[in-house]
Amino acid sequence: MTTQTPQPLMEARSLTKTYEVSKGLFQGKGHVQALRDVSFSLFSGQTLAVVGESGCGKSTLARQVTMIENPTSGSLILDGKDVAGADEDTLKIARRRVQIVFQNPYGSLNPRKRVLDILAEPLVINTDLSKTDRTDKVREMMAKVGLRPEFAERYPHMFSGGQRQRIAIARALMLEPTVIVADEPVSALDVSVQAQVLNLMMDLQEETGVAFLFISHDLSVVEHISNDVMVMYLGRVVEQGPKDKIFASPRHPYTRALLSATPRLSEAERKTKVVLQGELPSPLNPPSGCSFHTRCPFATAACKSEVPALRDFDGRKAACVRLEEISD
Amino acid sequence: MALLEMENLTVEFGSEKNPFRAVDQVSLTIDKGEVVGIVGESGSGKSVSSLALMGLVSYPGRVNASRLNFDGNDLLAMPQSQRRKITGSDIAMIFQEPMTSLNPCFTVGYQISEALKVHVGGSRQERRDRAADLLQQVGIPDPLKRLSAFPHQLSGGMSQRVMIAMAIACNPKLLIADEPTTALDVTIQAQIMDVLLRLQQDRGMALILITHDLAVVSEAAHRVQVMYAGQVVETGKVPDIFTAPRHPYTQALLEALPERSRGKRRLTTIPGVVPGVYDRPKGCLLAPRCRYADATCRTVRPQVSDLAGAKIRCFHPLDDAGRPTP
Repeated sequence: MTTQTPQPLMEARSLTKTYEVSKGLFQGKGHVQALRDVSFSLFSGQTLAVVGESGCGKSTLARQVTMIENPTSGSLILDGKDVAGADEDTLKIARRRVQIVFQNPYGSLNPRKRVLDILAEPLVINTDLSKTDRTDKVREMMAKVGLRPEFAERYPHMFSGGQRQRIAIARALMLEPTVIVADEPVSALDVSVQAQVLNLMMDLQEETGVAFLFISHDLSVVEHISNDVMVMYLGRVVEQGPKDKIFASPRHPYTRALLSATPRLSEAERKTKVVLQGELPSPLNPPSGCSFHTRCPFATAACKSEVPALRDFDGRKAACVRLEEISD
Repeated sequence: MALLEMENLTVEFGSEKNPFRAVDQVSLTIDKGEVVGIVGESGSGKSVSSLALMGLVSYPGRVNASRLNFDGNDLLAMPQSQRRKITGSDIAMIFQEPMTSLNPCFTVGYQISEALKVHVGGSRQERRDRAADLLQQVGIPDPLKRLSAFPHQLSGGMSQRVMIAMAIACNPKLLIADEPTTALDVTIQAQIMDVLLRLQQDRGMALILITHDLAVVSEAAHRVQVMYAGQVVETGKVPDIFTAPRHPYTQALLEALPERSRGKRRLTTIPGVVPGVYDRPKGCLLAPRCRYADATCRTVRPQVSDLAGAKIRCFHPLDDAGRPTP
């Protein structure tokens, strides 16, 4: 066995996305910086979890990574090539490598198509397999995700939520992607079904070596499934690092607040709740300096003016000027 | 005396000949100032049973109960008009989706005053002051200004606060919160739970907390009722029910949580899904999914029995070590 460092399947460098929005008649244009300077590497067989409140830029990140949108600046390196700003032909091939599973399995499957057609569609568009080959592939994939292949003729409404999410996962796997973006894949499911789907995802990862970009707001799920965690707030990464580090000793005040707000079953694990005041500020008009200072219990005058850079600290990266003072 | 005594509440849909029991003989007793959690997967009848309690199940649903007493009044014997006066003032409810529960055409102030107008009365100005005061109590900054806001101008957390303000407008003795935090972020969830529990304690109000999140219940409730396919399978005290569950379903639900599988790679799952309208098993409803089920479980429906302070619907309740008893 060689001991060379593995190449990342996907690498994002300073991804930034700015949307132009109308502020109203005669008001001119406003800018929403939905994603600012996000960098990460994704390795084969690994799961990177993205955590944060709604409006923090998780879904914008998913849209950049799946190449549905072009980032305003920064680069996205897939299989050694920068695909940010690439031409349509390159993108068409690159998009096959990155697939997505959506949050709501009731909305993401076309109700007028049979499962067979839903699963075969990626093959029709991207390959020149014959119809019989496609059908064989679909049946094989259905068996792999734990669905009975004879159900291929059925329509989505005949399946339960958990089964539909299996169909969505099967659809994402049809083109044998290297990266799957899972946008809150289990948050619409019941606990018992959620466990089934999470197990399936981990089994498939072990088998195919696919990497997951796992977007979720459920920290207990993230803690179970991920290798690395990235915590986002108003478009910026505030803390990023190995799961064990982040869950055992969160350093950024926002990560701490998120972890303490998560309800726990066992009394031993309940931390004194840091109830954050207020809500996420409007991204149209973000606070000056550190964007978290309006809700941060440790904020000082310096936080209002200085934008903290993401820096190495205690085995992970965090963006806070007072890291040394507040970590004990 | 208990605030609410409900015995054998049953809600049926479908034809008389071939009814579907969405809620099957649910009994619940709540004392003043008590917080009771009702947990279960979707389709377990949590919401329908509380809607039935509110008198909100309409035709063709049929509601039956052998006893339904609230605060010394028999709700079953009472004429509909009188019952209507109790629901909405003495028993109030908060619904799951705050964004869709508010009427988008009216201001927040109008919608809160409406509840006051029906149940309390008072002049326009008094109602307005009271509405502002209520918004203050649920932690909305600048309440006077917010009175004239429309629901679309509020975030999810703010809308849920408005819903709570509306529900507590008439000083209810019992508040039913149906998945109050499901649609919200964790940080906002913590804020809303904080508000709900503070109000509950300040006012000595009883609270029914319906949720599928076991962790939320374990932090907030005094007692928990676990429902499965329309039936209550276990009723017990917190934290006993979480440390030593007696019913195999409760045990399986807890084990399916990622928090309980720490260090293990695979999560423990419950095979299969909740039975639907047409595939209700003949015996215990959990039998096809239960790892301990035997021949009796598959043919005979178990009844509720008392066991060391808890109520269990199982032939083989679990012992302290989590093993089934014969």
